[in-house]
Amino acid sequence: MSAHSETEKFHYHEPGLQHQFEDMQQQEESVSIGMWMFLVQEIMFFGGLFTAYLVYRSRYPMAFAAGSNHLDAFWGGLNTLVLIVSSLTMALTVFYAQKNNRNMQVLMIVLTMFFGAVFLGVKAIEYTDKFDHGLVPVAGWNKRVPAHAGESHAAVKPCWEVDHNAPAEEHPNPRGEFQFTDCSLVKQAQDGNYLTAAERVGYFSNGQIDGNKFRDKVRIFYYLYFVMTGLHALHMVIGLGLMTWLLITAWRGRYNEDYYMPIEMSGLYWHFVDIVWIFLFPLLYLLGRHFMH
Amino acid sequence: MNIPRYLGVFAVLVVGTILTYYAATVDLDFIFPGANTLVALLIAFTKMTCVMLFFMHVYWSPRLIWLSAVASFFWLAIMFAYTMQDYLTRDIGVFMQ
Repeated sequence: MSAHSETEKFHYHEPGLQHQFEDMQQQEESVSIGMWMFLVQEIMFFGGLFTAYLVYRSRYPMAFAAGSNHLDAFWGGLNTLVLIVSSLTMALTVFYAQKNNRNMQVLMIVLTMFFGAVFLGVKAIEYTDKFDHGLVPVAGWNKRVPAHAGESHAAVKPCWEVDHNAPAEEHPNPRGEFQFTDCSLVKQAQDGNYLTAAERVGYFSNGQIDGNKFRDKVRIFYYLYFVMTGLHALHMVIGLGLMTWLLITAWRGRYNEDYYMPIEMSGLYWHFVDIVWIFLFPLLYLLGRHFMH
Repeated sequence: MNIPRYLGVFAVLVVGTILTYYAATVDLDFIFPGANTLVALLIAFTKMTCVMLFFMHVYWSPRLIWLSAVASFFWLAIMFAYTMQDYLTRDIGVFMQ
């Protein structure tokens, strides 16, 4: 009993220091390197998807451009800005924790959560739009548009002359299948003689552009779009969970200039998710813009 | 870091985003095919570097953090390079037809 009290008396612990570390600096460096190792693995995780993107885009660039041109760059760009603002507020959360300012910490966490939620809201709008226009790459997962008897304009015209802005009745989709009828970019690339070897095989049947074969290549783009943005959105949801925890602990005044590592580490995660979107935005939304005239 | 510096990094990121959108609408294929993508990626890399150095505080971090960050892109480059070395050479050479 007395020996224990002796050690307690002379062994001073800083409030945030876990007992397995010598001092705060060692603890902070250990925590940082652990988080960075996790982020490196996250980079490889998203890297696998970027590799799939690279392989298929290098083989079917026109299908990717055509698919991309049916994403709405306005929403994508708005979401990029929203995420950048949320990254700023996240960085400022760390700043105010280092300045012992509890109220501003709480405010910045709330703002970060707000912008994260706006991002997810915009994604919901976009996904709904894809659902309405038959662009979800899984049969039966799209809005069903009943066919009108005796009318099938879309099927009669060659696919490079289809008017994509035509009313929905001209694109009946009774089974909710993936639909993509506009192959004008293939025509353009064929006339300009810049189709890849894979495209010359992959889009044509008997020397004619085959709308169905082309649609299936565009479908690959939409698979990648949904998997990449979907996993990114999942990361955002997890990030919002982390923010909720930070909000509660920061509200209780847990963080100060001596102990703010949970905020710093959650910040690293949040910024990582922002960086992924910085790459997803041009690679998914903008890759075919320059073909639009 | 102080607040004006954080706002400065933020301004660079916003300008980069607007520039990305604007550059994508201009047809740069007259330089070489795929120039648009290269420009987009260069801007994205610049933005990423700003976020990592200043928002993620890598600039003030120990060397081990720098090494981890750089190494992850090195491994990523290996994955891209070895994958594409296969796919880009499939339609040429002695095995074609």
